[in-house]
Amino acid sequence: MDQARTQNVRMNRMKGRVRAWLSKPANIILLIFLATLAVLTLYPLLSMLTETVTIHVGREARAARLPAGSLSLYHFQRLFATAENDYSWIQFYQPFLNTLLVSVASSVIAILFGGVVAFLVTRTNLKYKKFVSAVFTFPYIMPSWTLALFWETFFKNVNIGLKTSNGIMASVFGVYMPEWFVYGAFPIALVLGLHYAPFAYILIGGILRNMDANLEEAATILKTGRGRIIRKITLPIVKPAMLSTFLLVFASSMSAYSVPVFLGSPVRYYVLSTKMKSLMDSYPGQAYIIVGVMILFGVAILLLNQRVTNSRKQFTTVTGKSGQISKINLGKANRPVAVILVVILLLVAVVPLVTFAMESIIIKAGDYSPSNMTLDFWIGTNLSERLDQGDSTGILLNPKVWNALGYSLGLAVTCALVAGTCGILVGYGVAKRRGSRLASWVNSLSFFPYLMPSLAFGAIYLAMSSKIPWLRGFLLLGLVGSVKYLPFASRSGVNAMLQLSGEIEEAALITGVPWWKRMIRVIFPIQKSSFLSGYLLPMVSCMRELSLFVLLVPTSNTILTTMLMQYSEKGWAQFGNAINLLIILVVLLVNFTVNKLTGASIDKGVGG
Amino acid sequence: MKKFLSLALALVMVLCAVPALADVAADIEAGQALTHDALVEKAKAESGTFVVYGNTSRISTAAEEFAKLYDIPFESNNLKDQEIYTKLRNENGGAAADMVMIQDGAQLTDAIAEGLVLNFVPAEVKDVLDEADQQPALVHQYINKLFIYNNLGDSVPAIKNVWELTAPEMKGNVIFKNPESEKVNMNFLVMCTKEEWAEKLAAAYKEWKGEDISLGEYKNAGYKWVAEFLDNVTFGKSDTSIAEEVSQETAAGKIGLFVLSKLRSSSVLTDNLTVAQYDASANGYAVNPFAGFMYPMYTMINTKATRPYTAMLFIEYLMTQDGFKPWGKSIGAYSPNPAITVNEGDLTIDVWKDNLVMEDADYILDSFEVEDFILQHCQR
Amino acid sequence: MPEIILKNVAKRFGKFVAVDNLNLHIESNSFITLLGPSGCGKTTTLRMIAGLETPTEGSISIDGKVVFDADQGINLPPNKRDVGFLFQNYALWPHMTVYQNIAFGLENLKWDKQRIRTRVNELLKMLKIEQFEKRYPSELSGGQQQRVAIARTLAPGPKVLFMDEPLSNLDAKLRMEMRAELKRLHRDTDSTFVYVTHDQLEAMTLSTRVCIMETGVLQQFAPPLEMYNNPANLFVADFMGNPTMNFVDGHLDQDGTVRFGGMTARFEHAGEPLAEGDVVVGIRPEYIHIDEDGKLEATVYSTLPSGMETTVKLDVDGTSLTAVVFGDVDYPVDSKVKCSFHKAAVLFDKATGKNIGKGKLVL
Repeated sequence: MDQARTQNVRMNRMKGRVRAWLSKPANIILLIFLATLAVLTLYPLLSMLTETVTIHVGREARAARLPAGSLSLYHFQRLFATAENDYSWIQFYQPFLNTLLVSVASSVIAILFGGVVAFLVTRTNLKYKKFVSAVFTFPYIMPSWTLALFWETFFKNVNIGLKTSNGIMASVFGVYMPEWFVYGAFPIALVLGLHYAPFAYILIGGILRNMDANLEEAATILKTGRGRIIRKITLPIVKPAMLSTFLLVFASSMSAYSVPVFLGSPVRYYVLSTKMKSLMDSYPGQAYIIVGVMILFGVAILLLNQRVTNSRKQFTTVTGKSGQISKINLGKANRPVAVILVVILLLVAVVPLVTFAMESIIIKAGDYSPSNMTLDFWIGTNLSERLDQGDSTGILLNPKVWNALGYSLGLAVTCALVAGTCGILVGYGVAKRRGSRLASWVNSLSFFPYLMPSLAFGAIYLAMSSKIPWLRGFLLLGLVGSVKYLPFASRSGVNAMLQLSGEIEEAALITGVPWWKRMIRVIFPIQKSSFLSGYLLPMVSCMRELSLFVLLVPTSNTILTTMLMQYSEKGWAQFGNAINLLIILVVLLVNFTVNKLTGASIDKGVGG
Repeated sequence: MKKFLSLALALVMVLCAVPALADVAADIEAGQALTHDALVEKAKAESGTFVVYGNTSRISTAAEEFAKLYDIPFESNNLKDQEIYTKLRNENGGAAADMVMIQDGAQLTDAIAEGLVLNFVPAEVKDVLDEADQQPALVHQYINKLFIYNNLGDSVPAIKNVWELTAPEMKGNVIFKNPESEKVNMNFLVMCTKEEWAEKLAAAYKEWKGEDISLGEYKNAGYKWVAEFLDNVTFGKSDTSIAEEVSQETAAGKIGLFVLSKLRSSSVLTDNLTVAQYDASANGYAVNPFAGFMYPMYTMINTKATRPYTAMLFIEYLMTQDGFKPWGKSIGAYSPNPAITVNEGDLTIDVWKDNLVMEDADYILDSFEVEDFILQHCQR
Repeated sequence: MPEIILKNVAKRFGKFVAVDNLNLHIESNSFITLLGPSGCGKTTTLRMIAGLETPTEGSISIDGKVVFDADQGINLPPNKRDVGFLFQNYALWPHMTVYQNIAFGLENLKWDKQRIRTRVNELLKMLKIEQFEKRYPSELSGGQQQRVAIARTLAPGPKVLFMDEPLSNLDAKLRMEMRAELKRLHRDTDSTFVYVTHDQLEAMTLSTRVCIMETGVLQQFAPPLEMYNNPANLFVADFMGNPTMNFVDGHLDQDGTVRFGGMTARFEHAGEPLAEGDVVVGIRPEYIHIDEDGKLEATVYSTLPSGMETTVKLDVDGTSLTAVVFGDVDYPVDSKVKCSFHKAAVLFDKATGKNIGKGKLVL
């Protein structure tokens, strides 16, 4: 009797506890995301690991002299320990070292460039600030390969590379740049660094903008020199932001594919991502090992980053708002610094656009005379007869282009909506249950897709979809895009939610406002611009994504980027340039419109 | 909870169930015996969009004409070999291709063995084609990549012997696509090491240098040529860009190895280019021992095709004069069908076969070590 | 009207015990203060009663209705407990006007428009913020925001009102003003108030009963003056009152003689004689009088005159004592004065810190 009662009580307590736990929407959200993300990110990871020990049919089975489908460590042995023909050196170690060099260098460049500009914009009386901050995110909005392409077409000359033609620098200004400047590690790191510098600008700028001026003023009163203040006070405070930037840029640079292809191949400079791509064709097992190495590196930096930011938590909480920030007077240096900055930004952000516009209207490459110009590639008709090349109409008259634009936009909007909404929910769950193990799992899982190289991610999802017949077409693309860009959205979601005091929601909770209504009527409106930025970033990235989707699109005319790739593959450079320009203009337009209408902007998304 | 789990499990199983594949092999066998009209009837009776993947951009023009002719909805895709193979391996159902046009005989041999694709030879061409062009895969056309050089300036590389390309003064003047990025290029280099070509290269060396080749560390003359050739090569991004670059006014002294059909592109300054083999033919000699290489483009039917009869009808169409038109209207593509003649100014397929390196799938498949050797020389 | 009963309530976060075995009986219509230093579990207790936090153990009932019972698995959500909550940072919704802030909860309760209008107007008037109706919170001063938050909390007419350090963000003058308002509000609304603060003065002045806590454990639950005069233990004695009580280590003899800090006195008190042992003698500063007739000789160490009163630090034979003298008086530093003990002193057990008796020290 008594025993039965105790048992009953125990049951009730259990039930009560479970019910109480489940009555908090944050818990349910975290549980759902834990399950979903485990399937969507850990499953690909596991299947990738399986691939590294599986002998694939065809060349692999033949070379390994093992039956297809058997399990073996052959790929590891071959990739890491084959001395014959310098195989391992050529396929792994050399590219690995190159990758390290390029990724570290690009991270440093991004942090230096972005950080310095962020400092100049937030802490000094620099001229043309408006222009600088408006244009600074352009390189990120543009696909990274556009800058690489621009770099090559601008600087190439007959002394280097293919040694066949002169770019603008040589033909117009008569300046012949040396090979190391145009091809190889230096330009790859530089282009990637410039492309990702907005990360540094946004993350570091965010801290500098909010940093309590008293911290610096206190030091000033103690008669500390300016340089010393920056070194001893400002730098340590922005250190966590610098480390975050390092993580983001390093991981992105490591998996960047098109930039090393454009700027590395002509001088036989290979990195892991290019090796992975070519190995994927005949030796997928080895390719997946490379992917694994890349992920390991990402995870290692992520852990390092977490450790450093955790032990230095005090620093990040210093960012209380302070109205008075003493701006450094640049004095005589102001104009020269501002002009140099504007020129660099013009070169990086505006000149490429002009170049693409030019290249899309000239018929024979390198000839910029008016007689060689035509708008045919934009609005011409009957081109296949007249030019014996490309599609029969200019891109603006080509229904395929419009269809692809529609599909691209639809896909980008879908991914943005899914990823952005999930990002808000993840942010809500993680912020509410901050410190719990569940929250930190979900937080890490939602960041994980960032560390997976796009190409491999796409390949794994393709293999996954082969087992699920209904998972294809738009659904598949939407899913992949949403998962891949979730990290952006969840980061901005978590940041936005952490800024929001829990009381704001509880004040509504206590009057019985249901959860969904609290989200829509209270939480979302308050952090509207941060949340919308969480939608914007996936949208922009999705519009210009290629390698993630290339294997998954039903047809190559499906989205603009694969169409662009197809045109460049075939060498229809003018069509390619025109489409490239179209993509960039559409993205800029969307970005601008959203910004004007809602105040959201990309800079707020990453961590503002 | 248990109930929920089992329900979820059942759901997953239902969702993952792969629909039973139609027996395409049986259809092809049946199709082989049908008359043209019966095939048309069967094809029209099929439903859904007819999807083709091709490693050639002109497949869309052909498919367009074909669709007009028979009023069949179609979708054509221009993809790279690897993308086609990856898609064939992983795609199921509606979006997947019914039929592919694909190159790289070595990999195709594997794909046939894997059961990814099936061969179909239309009755009309069965008797006119060489056996080698029908089995194990139907060759739709041959494509050639030739030594083509810039004819401006004082040092025109009008080569008569491929060993000239290995001379120190040619370093950086030879442009080729990276063999890692397109398998047919790799295949060509591998073929050079095959005994028959190695012997010819050894003979060519003697003709060039006037002395017997000393192999040193190399296994045969083929290896030596490949290594020294690659040491002089700069890699271009695509055949189109190589064609464009070599044709520049500023590119005097440069020679490229790329598809002849690129000479049709308006962005290429054709006047500045000379095809080594054309020049040789006109002057009554041959480039020793080869003027480039040639590889087949095959037509195959996807084992998972949902419109197999339409695929057969399309292949039948592609093998006709009309079906070949998108490629045949300019130089650089050669039908194995003797009824389809080459363009004016181009050479016949037989001349090419005598002067170009052809793929031997069996040799290539056994020579992955040669690929390692080639990779080593693709490094700086 | 409603009373709140907490039985054996505990809250643990993993191994950390925030609140331990708390029993409270909050009577209807009372104004209860949960008092203690930060981290003592007072806010957690408040949030548990409100339903914002789930206790690990125990049961809670409000107005006779069980809202939480761990053993029976009962746990009502906050909105079903008919309570109001006033947050430390006001938690006003920045994207809504003052009117919308107050009306939002009512709209959610499906009140009709007219009724909402009437109620909001009533509250705006009551809290004297009519003119700010259309403003956004960011356009208001701290005190005005506080009033809006109170209006919002009162709007649905909750039977119980919880307040979590609501005045801590206001300046001293405004705080005084709001205290008076809150006390008046308590009378006018006829509901039970539970108030969290770390400010003993606030607790003293506002509440009908004070619940003082330390590291999750209830120390004393009593009316403020009783707590002041007869603190349950050293912690409570030290926490209540400013300047704080004087504590001097000493020894109590069997015969009631206390020897402490070089002084000897007889401890007179009602009830059973106390056992001999080590004690701490607690004397409120205002019970140390400086007068000519005093029996103790002391040296003035420092003085803090504030006009209304002067806090004097005395040195009695090496023992430091704080005295408060009312009126505008001052003494030269290092001057010799005489003093005596008046009214009550409290003896605490040296080992346990517990109050063992209240009485008079006779020198």
